[in-house]
Amino acid sequence: MGIMRIGHASIRVMDMATAVKHYENVLGMKKTMQDKDGNVYLKCWDEWDKYSLILTPSDQAGLNHVAYKVEHDSDLDALQKRIEAYGIKTEMLPEGTLPSTGRMLKFKLPSTHEMRLYAMKECVGTDVGSVNPDPWPDDLKGAGVHWLDHCLLMCELNPETGVNKVAENTKFVMECLDFHLAEQVMVGPGNAIQAATWLFRTTTPHDIAFVGGPRNGLHHIAFFLDSWNDLLKAADVMAKTKTKIDVSPTRHGITRGETIYFFDPSGNRNETFAGLGYLAQPDRPVITWTEDHLGSGIFYHTGELVPSFTEVYT
Amino acid sequence: MHAVTIVQTGEVYSCSEDEPLLAGMARLGRRGIPVGCLGGGCGVCKIRVLSGSVRKLGPVSRAHVNVEEEGRGYTLACRVAPECAVELEVVGKLQKPFFKGFAGRQQNVLSTK
Repeated sequence: MGIMRIGHASIRVMDMATAVKHYENVLGMKKTMQDKDGNVYLKCWDEWDKYSLILTPSDQAGLNHVAYKVEHDSDLDALQKRIEAYGIKTEMLPEGTLPSTGRMLKFKLPSTHEMRLYAMKECVGTDVGSVNPDPWPDDLKGAGVHWLDHCLLMCELNPETGVNKVAENTKFVMECLDFHLAEQVMVGPGNAIQAATWLFRTTTPHDIAFVGGPRNGLHHIAFFLDSWNDLLKAADVMAKTKTKIDVSPTRHGITRGETIYFFDPSGNRNETFAGLGYLAQPDRPVITWTEDHLGSGIFYHTGELVPSFTEVYT
Repeated sequence: MHAVTIVQTGEVYSCSEDEPLLAGMARLGRRGIPVGCLGGGCGVCKIRVLSGSVRKLGPVSRAHVNVEEEGRGYTLACRVAPECAVELEVVGKLQKPFFKGFAGRQQNVLSTK
Protein backbone atom coordinates (compact mmCIF):
# COMPACT_ATOMS: atom_id res chain seq x y z
CA MET A 1 0.00 0.00 0.00
CA GLY A 2 1.30 3.45 -0.85
CA ILE A 3 4.61 4.28 -2.48
CA MET A 4 6.76 1.29 -3.43
CA ARG A 5 9.87 2.86 -4.97
CA ILE A 6 11.28 5.51 -7.29
CA GLY A 7 9.76 5.00 -10.73
CA HIS A 8 11.47 7.44 -13.01
CA ALA A 9 13.22 10.77 -13.30
CA SER A 10 12.58 13.24 -16.10
CA ILE A 11 15.61 15.41 -16.74
CA ARG A 12 16.56 18.14 -19.20
CA VAL A 13 19.50 17.73 -21.55
CA MET A 14 21.05 20.25 -23.95
CA ASP A 15 22.26 17.80 -26.62
CA MET A 16 20.09 14.73 -27.03
CA ALA A 17 22.48 12.64 -29.12
CA THR A 18 25.37 12.92 -26.65
CA ALA A 19 23.00 12.42 -23.71
CA VAL A 20 21.60 9.19 -25.11
CA LYS A 21 25.11 8.01 -25.88
CA HIS A 22 26.11 8.70 -22.26
CA TYR A 23 23.19 6.87 -20.67
CA GLU A 24 23.56 3.94 -23.10
CA ASN A 25 27.34 3.55 -23.22
CA VAL A 26 28.46 4.73 -19.78
CA LEU A 27 25.51 3.65 -17.62
CA GLY A 28 24.44 0.79 -19.87
CA MET A 29 20.76 1.71 -20.16
CA LYS A 30 18.69 0.90 -23.23
CA LYS A 31 16.47 3.26 -25.18
CA THR A 32 12.92 1.92 -25.18
CA MET A 33 10.90 4.73 -26.74
CA GLN A 34 11.03 8.18 -28.31
CA ASP A 35 7.93 10.36 -28.46
CA LYS A 36 6.90 12.94 -31.07
CA ASP A 37 8.31 15.78 -28.98
CA GLY A 38 11.75 14.20 -29.09
CA ASN A 39 11.77 12.94 -25.50
CA VAL A 40 13.79 9.75 -25.12
CA TYR A 41 12.86 6.99 -22.65
CA LEU A 42 15.39 4.51 -21.29
CA LYS A 43 15.50 1.60 -18.85
CA CYS A 44 18.13 -0.43 -17.01
CA TRP A 45 18.48 -4.18 -17.66
CA ASP A 46 17.21 -5.26 -14.23
CA GLU A 47 14.08 -3.09 -14.34
CA TRP A 48 10.79 -4.54 -15.55
CA ASP A 49 8.76 -1.41 -16.28
CA LYS A 50 9.19 0.27 -19.64
CA TYR A 51 11.37 3.21 -18.58
CA SER A 52 13.03 4.80 -15.58
CA LEU A 53 14.59 7.83 -17.25
CA ILE A 54 13.10 10.46 -19.56
CA LEU A 55 15.49 12.80 -21.37
CA THR A 56 13.86 16.05 -22.50
CA PRO A 57 15.51 18.33 -25.05
CA SER A 58 16.07 21.77 -23.51
CA ASP A 59 18.35 24.80 -23.44
CA GLN A 60 19.32 24.03 -19.86
CA ALA A 61 20.04 21.11 -17.53
CA GLY A 62 18.12 19.99 -14.45
CA LEU A 63 15.12 18.05 -13.22
CA ASN A 64 11.62 18.22 -14.74
CA HIS A 65 10.02 15.86 -12.25
CA VAL A 66 10.66 12.73 -10.24
CA ALA A 67 8.04 10.00 -10.08
CA TYR A 68 7.36 7.25 -7.53
CA LYS A 69 5.29 4.14 -8.14
CA VAL A 70 2.45 3.25 -5.78
CA GLU A 71 1.14 -0.29 -5.34
CA HIS A 72 -2.58 0.19 -6.10
CA ASP A 73 -4.42 2.61 -8.33
CA SER A 74 -6.69 3.48 -5.38
CA ASP A 75 -3.60 4.67 -3.46
CA LEU A 76 -3.55 7.67 -5.79
CA ASP A 77 -6.99 8.79 -4.59
CA ALA A 78 -6.11 8.22 -0.94
CA LEU A 79 -2.82 10.07 -1.24
CA GLN A 80 -4.46 12.91 -3.16
CA LYS A 81 -6.85 13.48 -0.24
CA ARG A 82 -4.01 13.50 2.28
CA ILE A 83 -1.82 15.85 0.23
CA GLU A 84 -4.71 18.28 -0.36
CA ALA A 85 -5.60 18.15 3.34
CA TYR A 86 -1.98 19.02 4.13
CA GLY A 87 -2.47 22.19 2.06
CA ILE A 88 -0.68 21.28 -1.13
CA LYS A 89 -2.51 21.52 -4.45
CA THR A 90 -2.56 18.42 -6.65
CA GLU A 91 -3.53 17.59 -10.21
CA MET A 92 -4.53 14.17 -11.53
CA LEU A 93 -2.99 13.81 -15.01
CA PRO A 94 -4.97 11.37 -17.18
CA GLU A 95 -3.61 8.06 -18.41
CA GLY A 96 -1.45 8.54 -21.48
CA THR A 97 -0.03 11.89 -20.39
CA LEU A 98 3.21 9.96 -20.48
CA PRO A 99 3.33 7.02 -22.91
CA SER A 100 2.82 3.51 -21.46
CA THR A 101 1.90 5.10 -18.13
CA GLY A 102 -1.37 5.29 -16.20
CA ARG A 103 -2.83 8.35 -14.51
CA MET A 104 -0.40 10.39 -12.46
CA LEU A 105 -0.90 12.46 -9.34
CA LYS A 106 1.15 15.64 -9.79
CA PHE A 107 2.12 18.09 -7.03
CA LYS A 108 4.99 20.19 -5.82
CA LEU A 109 7.09 19.47 -2.77
CA PRO A 110 7.47 22.45 -0.38
CA SER A 111 10.86 22.98 -2.10
CA THR A 112 8.95 23.42 -5.44
CA HIS A 113 10.40 20.27 -7.00
CA GLU A 114 7.68 18.51 -9.02
CA MET A 115 6.79 15.02 -7.86
CA ARG A 116 4.44 12.58 -9.55
CA LEU A 117 2.90 9.35 -8.32
CA TYR A 118 1.53 6.62 -10.57
CA ALA A 119 0.34 3.04 -10.21
CA MET A 120 0.62 1.70 -13.76
CA LYS A 121 3.47 1.54 -16.24
CA GLU A 122 3.77 -0.99 -19.04
CA CYS A 123 5.69 -4.04 -17.81
CA VAL A 124 8.19 -5.27 -20.38
CA GLY A 125 10.23 -7.56 -18.12
CA THR A 126 13.88 -7.56 -17.17
CA ASP A 127 16.56 -8.43 -19.71
CA VAL A 128 17.00 -11.89 -18.17
CA GLY A 129 13.30 -12.67 -18.00
CA SER A 130 11.35 -14.26 -15.17
CA VAL A 131 11.61 -17.98 -15.99
CA ASN A 132 14.84 -19.74 -14.95
CA PRO A 133 16.77 -16.51 -15.42
CA ASP A 134 20.53 -16.09 -15.66
CA PRO A 135 22.03 -13.63 -13.15
CA TRP A 136 22.95 -11.09 -15.82
CA PRO A 137 22.38 -10.58 -19.55
CA ASP A 138 25.10 -11.03 -22.19
CA ASP A 139 24.78 -7.68 -23.93
CA LEU A 140 25.63 -5.32 -21.06
CA LYS A 141 27.32 -2.06 -22.02
CA GLY A 142 29.37 0.22 -19.82
CA ALA A 143 28.70 0.06 -16.10
CA GLY A 144 25.62 -2.10 -16.62
CA VAL A 145 23.60 -0.43 -13.87
CA HIS A 146 20.72 -2.45 -12.43
CA TRP A 147 18.11 0.15 -11.68
CA LEU A 148 17.39 3.79 -10.87
CA ASP A 149 17.90 3.79 -7.12
CA HIS A 150 17.17 7.23 -5.68
CA CYS A 151 17.50 10.94 -6.23
CA LEU A 152 18.92 13.76 -4.14
CA LEU A 153 17.20 17.12 -4.33
CA MET A 154 18.93 20.33 -3.28
CA CYS A 155 16.55 22.41 -1.16
CA GLU A 156 16.81 26.02 -0.15
CA LEU A 157 18.22 26.42 3.35
CA ASN A 158 18.93 29.84 4.79
CA PRO A 159 19.03 29.90 8.59
CA GLU A 160 19.24 33.70 8.60
CA THR A 161 15.86 34.10 6.93
CA GLY A 162 14.42 31.00 8.55
CA VAL A 163 13.92 29.17 5.27
CA ASN A 164 14.45 25.42 5.60
CA LYS A 165 12.95 23.47 2.72
CA VAL A 166 14.84 20.35 3.86
CA ALA A 167 12.82 20.23 7.06
CA GLU A 168 9.60 21.16 5.25
CA ASN A 169 10.04 18.46 2.61
CA THR A 170 10.99 15.89 5.23
CA LYS A 171 7.91 16.62 7.32
CA PHE A 172 5.68 16.50 4.25
CA VAL A 173 6.92 13.20 2.84
CA MET A 174 6.81 11.56 6.27
CA GLU A 175 3.33 12.78 7.15
CA CYS A 176 1.67 12.46 3.74
CA LEU A 177 3.62 9.85 1.81
CA ASP A 178 4.68 7.58 4.72
CA PHE A 179 8.41 7.87 4.06
CA HIS A 180 10.60 6.87 7.01
CA LEU A 181 13.63 8.85 8.12
CA ALA A 182 16.86 6.81 8.00
CA GLU A 183 19.51 9.47 8.59
CA GLN A 184 19.79 13.20 9.09
CA VAL A 185 22.46 15.89 9.32
CA MET A 186 21.96 18.41 12.11
CA VAL A 187 23.96 21.67 12.05
CA GLY A 188 24.14 25.08 13.64
CA PRO A 189 23.95 26.13 17.30
CA GLY A 190 23.03 23.08 19.36
CA ASN A 191 22.83 21.06 16.14
CA ALA A 192 19.24 22.25 15.89
CA ILE A 193 18.98 22.80 12.13
CA GLN A 194 17.97 19.80 10.01
CA ALA A 195 20.27 20.40 7.03
CA ALA A 196 19.95 17.09 5.17
CA THR A 197 17.78 13.98 5.34
CA TRP A 198 17.71 10.49 3.80
CA LEU A 199 14.35 8.76 3.65
CA PHE A 200 13.04 5.38 2.53
CA ARG A 201 10.00 3.43 1.44
CA THR A 202 11.91 0.31 0.38
CA THR A 203 14.24 -1.62 2.70
CA THR A 204 17.38 0.34 1.74
CA PRO A 205 18.42 3.51 3.58
CA HIS A 206 17.18 5.99 1.01
CA ASP A 207 14.79 6.32 -1.87
CA ILE A 208 14.97 10.10 -1.71
CA ALA A 209 17.29 12.59 -0.04
CA PHE A 210 17.09 16.31 0.64
CA VAL A 211 20.17 18.47 1.18
CA GLY A 212 20.25 22.15 2.04
CA GLY A 213 21.80 24.67 -0.33
CA PRO A 214 21.45 28.23 -1.60
CA ARG A 215 18.80 27.30 -4.20
CA ASN A 216 16.52 24.43 -5.17
CA GLY A 217 17.80 22.02 -7.80
CA LEU A 218 18.85 18.53 -8.74
CA HIS A 219 21.95 17.20 -7.03
CA HIS A 220 21.96 13.76 -8.61
CA ILE A 221 20.10 10.72 -9.78
CA ALA A 222 21.64 7.43 -8.65
CA PHE A 223 21.79 4.01 -10.26
CA PHE A 224 22.38 0.74 -8.44
CA LEU A 225 25.35 -1.56 -8.82
CA ASP A 226 25.93 -4.81 -6.94
CA SER A 227 29.41 -4.48 -5.57
CA TRP A 228 32.62 -2.56 -5.08
CA ASN A 229 34.08 -4.49 -8.04
CA ASP A 230 31.26 -3.26 -10.26
CA LEU A 231 32.01 0.25 -9.07
CA LEU A 232 35.69 -0.09 -10.03
CA LYS A 233 34.67 -1.26 -13.48
CA ALA A 234 32.22 1.64 -13.76
CA ALA A 235 35.04 4.09 -12.98
CA ASP A 236 37.17 2.40 -15.67
CA VAL A 237 34.32 2.89 -18.13
CA MET A 238 34.14 6.58 -17.21
CA ALA A 239 37.88 6.99 -17.74
CA LYS A 240 37.71 5.23 -21.10
CA THR A 241 34.81 7.40 -22.25
CA LYS A 242 36.36 10.64 -20.85
CA THR A 243 33.33 11.11 -18.63
CA LYS A 244 33.84 13.88 -16.07
CA ILE A 245 34.17 12.21 -12.65
CA ASP A 246 33.28 14.45 -9.72
CA VAL A 247 34.23 12.03 -6.92
CA SER A 248 36.07 8.79 -7.71
CA PRO A 249 35.14 5.53 -5.93
CA THR A 250 34.73 5.92 -2.18
CA ARG A 251 32.25 5.22 0.60
CA HIS A 252 29.66 7.39 2.28
CA GLY A 253 29.39 7.27 6.06
CA ILE A 254 25.76 8.19 5.58
CA THR A 255 23.87 5.13 4.20
CA ARG A 256 27.23 3.22 3.99
CA GLY A 257 26.87 3.43 0.21
CA GLU A 258 29.82 2.86 -2.09
CA THR A 259 29.82 5.56 -4.70
CA ILE A 260 31.08 7.39 -7.76
CA TYR A 261 29.79 10.81 -8.73
CA PHE A 262 30.06 11.93 -12.33
CA PHE A 263 28.30 14.19 -14.80
CA ASP A 264 26.24 13.56 -17.89
CA PRO A 265 27.20 15.70 -20.93
CA SER A 266 24.71 18.43 -19.91
CA GLY A 267 26.08 18.65 -16.38
CA ASN A 268 23.41 16.65 -14.57
CA ARG A 269 25.17 14.72 -11.81
CA ASN A 270 24.85 10.93 -11.85
CA GLU A 271 25.85 8.48 -9.15
CA THR A 272 26.59 4.80 -9.36
CA PHE A 273 25.72 3.46 -5.93
CA ALA A 274 26.72 0.01 -4.71
CA GLY A 275 25.75 -2.02 -1.72
CA LEU A 276 22.42 -2.18 0.06
CA GLY A 277 23.77 -0.32 3.10
CA TYR A 278 21.70 -1.88 5.86
CA LEU A 279 18.19 -3.13 6.41
CA ALA A 280 16.08 -0.02 6.65
CA GLN A 281 13.00 -0.50 8.81
CA PRO A 282 10.45 1.93 10.25
CA ASP A 283 11.43 1.00 13.82
CA ARG A 284 15.21 1.31 13.26
CA PRO A 285 16.64 4.19 15.30
CA VAL A 286 17.23 7.29 13.16
CA ILE A 287 20.94 7.98 12.57
CA THR A 288 22.09 11.55 13.24
CA TRP A 289 25.31 13.14 11.93
CA THR A 290 26.49 16.28 13.64
CA GLU A 291 28.17 19.21 11.89
CA ASP A 292 31.62 18.38 13.28
CA HIS A 293 31.46 14.90 11.69
CA LEU A 294 29.81 15.95 8.46
CA GLY A 295 32.93 15.28 6.37
CA SER A 296 32.98 11.65 7.48
CA GLY A 297 29.28 11.35 6.88
CA ILE A 298 29.59 12.43 3.28
CA PHE A 299 33.00 10.91 2.40
CA TYR A 300 33.89 8.37 5.05
CA HIS A 301 37.51 7.62 4.12
CA THR A 302 38.95 11.12 3.91
CA GLY A 303 36.46 12.83 6.18
CA GLU A 304 36.84 15.87 3.95
CA LEU A 305 34.17 17.56 1.90
CA VAL A 306 34.80 18.16 -1.78
CA PRO A 307 33.67 21.74 -2.57
CA SER A 308 32.15 20.78 -5.93
CA PHE A 309 29.99 18.18 -4.21
CA THR A 310 27.93 20.78 -2.40
CA GLU A 311 28.33 23.76 -4.71
CA VAL A 312 27.83 22.26 -8.17
CA TYR A 313 24.37 21.12 -9.23
CA THR A 314 21.72 21.76 -11.88
CA MET B 1 48.45 28.67 -27.94
CA HIS B 2 46.80 32.01 -27.19
CA ALA B 3 47.34 34.37 -24.28
CA VAL B 4 44.34 34.72 -22.01
CA THR B 5 44.26 37.63 -19.57
CA ILE B 6 42.12 37.78 -16.44
CA VAL B 7 41.58 41.52 -16.24
CA GLN B 8 40.74 41.70 -12.53
CA THR B 9 44.05 40.20 -11.45
CA GLY B 10 46.25 40.80 -14.49
CA GLU B 11 47.13 37.12 -14.61
CA VAL B 12 47.92 35.68 -18.05
CA TYR B 13 47.75 32.03 -19.04
CA SER B 14 48.09 30.04 -22.25
CA CYS B 15 45.23 28.14 -23.79
CA SER B 16 45.15 26.24 -27.07
CA GLU B 17 42.44 26.60 -29.71
CA ASP B 18 41.17 23.11 -28.95
CA GLU B 19 40.69 23.36 -25.22
CA PRO B 20 38.21 25.22 -23.06
CA LEU B 21 39.31 28.44 -21.36
CA LEU B 22 38.65 26.69 -18.06
CA ALA B 23 41.29 24.03 -18.77
CA GLY B 24 44.02 26.65 -19.14
CA MET B 25 42.76 28.54 -16.13
CA ALA B 26 42.94 25.35 -14.05
CA ARG B 27 46.63 25.11 -14.96
CA LEU B 28 47.20 28.31 -13.02
CA GLY B 29 47.02 25.93 -10.09
CA ARG B 30 45.02 28.37 -8.05
CA ARG B 31 43.22 26.59 -5.27
CA GLY B 32 39.49 26.47 -5.60
CA ILE B 33 38.98 27.17 -9.29
CA PRO B 34 35.49 25.74 -9.64
CA VAL B 35 35.79 22.97 -12.14
CA GLY B 36 32.19 21.80 -12.06
CA CYS B 37 30.31 19.62 -14.51
CA LEU B 38 32.39 20.62 -17.58
CA GLY B 39 29.18 20.30 -19.58
CA GLY B 40 27.80 23.83 -19.56
CA GLY B 41 25.04 22.88 -17.12
CA CYS B 42 26.04 23.91 -13.61
CA GLY B 43 27.19 27.48 -14.26
CA VAL B 44 30.02 27.75 -11.73
CA CYS B 45 32.66 28.80 -14.28
CA LYS B 46 30.83 31.88 -15.62
CA ILE B 47 33.01 34.50 -17.30
CA ARG B 48 32.61 37.54 -19.56
CA VAL B 49 34.77 37.83 -22.65
CA LEU B 50 35.82 41.49 -22.96
CA SER B 51 38.04 41.27 -26.03
CA GLY B 52 39.16 38.68 -28.54
CA SER B 53 36.97 35.92 -29.91
CA VAL B 54 36.05 32.48 -28.69
CA ARG B 55 34.62 29.36 -30.32
CA LYS B 56 31.71 27.56 -28.68
CA LEU B 57 32.50 23.91 -27.87
CA GLY B 58 28.97 22.94 -26.82
CA PRO B 59 25.70 24.16 -25.33
CA VAL B 60 25.62 26.63 -22.43
CA SER B 61 22.67 26.44 -20.03
CA ARG B 62 20.16 29.28 -20.38
CA ALA B 63 19.60 28.98 -16.64
CA HIS B 64 23.03 30.52 -16.18
CA VAL B 65 23.61 32.68 -19.28
CA ASN B 66 20.53 34.36 -20.72
CA VAL B 67 20.24 35.75 -24.26
CA GLU B 68 20.93 39.32 -23.19
CA GLU B 69 24.02 38.27 -21.25
CA GLU B 70 25.26 36.15 -24.13
CA GLY B 71 25.12 39.24 -26.34
CA ARG B 72 27.33 41.07 -23.83
CA GLY B 73 30.01 38.37 -23.88
CA TYR B 74 28.96 36.25 -20.93
CA THR B 75 29.53 32.51 -21.25
CA LEU B 76 30.85 29.51 -19.34
CA ALA B 77 34.62 28.92 -19.40
CA CYS B 78 34.17 25.16 -19.85
CA ARG B 79 32.34 25.61 -23.15
CA VAL B 80 34.49 28.04 -25.17
CA ALA B 81 37.97 27.90 -26.67
CA PRO B 82 40.06 30.94 -27.66
CA GLU B 83 40.49 31.84 -31.35
CA CYS B 84 43.03 34.55 -30.58
CA ALA B 85 44.31 36.45 -27.56
CA VAL B 86 41.43 36.90 -25.11
CA GLU B 87 40.72 39.22 -22.21
CA LEU B 88 38.10 38.03 -19.76
CA GLU B 89 36.63 38.84 -16.41
CA VAL B 90 35.46 36.22 -13.99
CA VAL B 91 31.93 36.44 -12.63
CA GLY B 92 29.65 34.40 -10.41
CA LYS B 93 31.13 31.65 -8.31
CA LEU B 94 34.45 31.92 -10.11
CA GLN B 95 35.03 35.14 -8.20
CA LYS B 96 35.52 33.24 -4.99
CA PRO B 97 39.03 31.90 -5.66
CA PHE B 98 40.09 35.07 -7.41
CA PHE B 99 38.80 37.56 -4.88
CA LYS B 100 38.83 35.55 -1.73
CA GLY B 101 37.91 37.72 1.20
CA PHE B 102 36.34 40.42 -0.96
CA ALA B 103 33.43 38.90 -2.81
CA GLY B 104 30.29 38.25 -0.82
CA ARG B 105 30.34 34.65 0.18
CA GLN B 106 27.35 32.69 -0.93
CA GLN B 107 28.31 29.68 1.06
CA ASN B 108 26.47 26.43 0.97
CA VAL B 109 25.34 25.38 4.42
CA LEU B 110 26.96 21.99 3.97
CA SER B 111 30.30 23.24 2.72
CA THR B 112 33.24 23.66 5.01
CA LYS B 113 35.48 26.71 4.98
